[in-house]
Amino acid sequence: MTPRERILATLYGDRADRLPFFHWWRHSQIGWAERECRNRGMGMCWLRPCHIMTMENVDRTEAQDTSTGRVVQRRIYHTPVGSIYLDEKREPGVEEWHGLRSWRDVSPWQIDRLIKKPEDYEVLKYMIEHTTYTPYYFPIEQAEEWLGGDGLVIASLPHTPMQMLMIDWIGSEGGRFYIHHAKYRDEIEELYEALCKSREPLYEIAARSPAEVVMCGDNIDGLLVNPRLFEKYFMPVYENCAEILHEQGKLMAVHMDGRINVLKDLVAKTPIDIIEALHPPPMGDLPVSDALSRWKQKVIWMGYPGSVYTLGPEAVKKHTLTLLRSIVPGDRLCVEMSTENLVSNENLLTLTSILENAALPLTETTIDHIEQSVT
Amino acid sequence: MCGTLTEEKYLRALKDSIVNMDFDGVIQAAQHAMDGGVAPLKAITDGMAVGMSIVGEKFEKGEYFLSELIVAGAVMKEGMSVIDPYVQGGGAAVRGKVIVATVEGDNHDIGKSIVTTLLVARGFEVVDLGIDVASETIVCAVEEHQPDILGLSALLTVTMPQMGEVIDALQAAGLRDNVKVIVGGTPVTAEFAERIGADYCAVNAVEGVEKCVAWVTPEDEG
Repeated sequence: MTPRERILATLYGDRADRLPFFHWWRHSQIGWAERECRNRGMGMCWLRPCHIMTMENVDRTEAQDTSTGRVVQRRIYHTPVGSIYLDEKREPGVEEWHGLRSWRDVSPWQIDRLIKKPEDYEVLKYMIEHTTYTPYYFPIEQAEEWLGGDGLVIASLPHTPMQMLMIDWIGSEGGRFYIHHAKYRDEIEELYEALCKSREPLYEIAARSPAEVVMCGDNIDGLLVNPRLFEKYFMPVYENCAEILHEQGKLMAVHMDGRINVLKDLVAKTPIDIIEALHPPPMGDLPVSDALSRWKQKVIWMGYPGSVYTLGPEAVKKHTLTLLRSIVPGDRLCVEMSTENLVSNENLLTLTSILENAALPLTETTIDHIEQSVT
Repeated sequence: MCGTLTEEKYLRALKDSIVNMDFDGVIQAAQHAMDGGVAPLKAITDGMAVGMSIVGEKFEKGEYFLSELIVAGAVMKEGMSVIDPYVQGGGAAVRGKVIVATVEGDNHDIGKSIVTTLLVARGFEVVDLGIDVASETIVCAVEEHQPDILGLSALLTVTMPQMGEVIDALQAAGLRDNVKVIVGGTPVTAEFAERIGADYCAVNAVEGVEKCVAWVTPEDEG
């Protein structure tokens, strides 16, 4: 089987010949080790957009401030009901070689968000109500042609409405989102509703894209998105989105790389097909075996814990063998090599040397054999 | 000086406004308490701080979530803005001083914010240096503020090594022995903390703050 066939087999309830494992294109350090790992079965997955967003009657201007010794880029949106701005800190290289990414492949970091005061909500609501989405499938078609059997191209959507508010527009610095949610609940909910309505055509666009899987934005952590918030603002959106995607035979993935234990029962009730980037202990707080037994209708794409990588290849070997023993027979699982930027060549090769031998169904005997053969 | 019963009523209103996360209520309760003659320090320690302790306990038990903890902290801050002008002679007695920072290259803030809220609720003075803070800035702050404890946060495996650089820089500046260093963040492990020479690795915010309390509490009081 090709890496693509293995990933798809797992998604559609068939058994792959071995445990699928892949690297994200964005996190992959191109070079000899990456090439060797791919030659030994490591797949590659690629997130690509499926739409173009335009805003009517909204002008956008930019200004630069270097007075603090750092380059701060101010982006200002002007609308008939007022103006709002955000400030970004950019690392070297942005706009010099690869769009908005720095030389380290890091995107700009917002240091001042669009929503700062209650009046800003109305301006953003105007922007949302004047936003149009149109299909644009070329990025997916191109990546699919390039990748072929080497992996999977996934259509990517922005954060869901409440997470746009939490992460992108209000921000969590200093607990600002929670304070706004306590003080300006009506404004937040009005904006949330407007965004939910505005997004429906986007889900339809994603559903009709060539990609089999749609990543529905988000970055879920049970500490930040507590069960009350998850149930009220996230689950209805997932249900709506899943209904539209499933009608076109598409699968829905959501990025959940944080502490998910507190949300596990609610996650089980969602129609999400793929829990992407689940981080087991020592970084997360929900073991993969527990997640698999609770979410019987879901596939887990496990994010390999970066803190294990910091301990070196021997720790990677030990951790991975323990992991494999906990998930026998290994169904409904793919391993993502990293959801952060860096994996050393040594760690990548060690992990590959174990996973390339993880034939399915996994048995204790198979794992004993891997333990003995991997040095 | 107000009567005991009246004072109890004022203190209860302050406590309740924190537990109920009532922004308007705390301003009213604080102003009433000041107008009613409650000693400012008593209003803080026996009113609002008691409310924060209850919120902290509920957070620890899983009855309250991070959102409640943060909002209660913000409500207390509003109450303090009313009471502060009435405080004379340098303000409330502090348990100890802590500097907190997210290390250079890391822009994550929320873990540090939780720790800060809990430390303030437990009577610490906190100097928050912010996010993406360079090692030399942290060393300068330690020299200037002479804290009991330095708390370092990182959420990324790629920024964790910066914690070790800060500790090395403290050592080079001859300040390492003057301050306890506690580290925390999702990828940070006890093994890593030991390797870089930190004094402690906090498993979570509540447990980390307990360690800070233990460090500054004389043994005969502990």
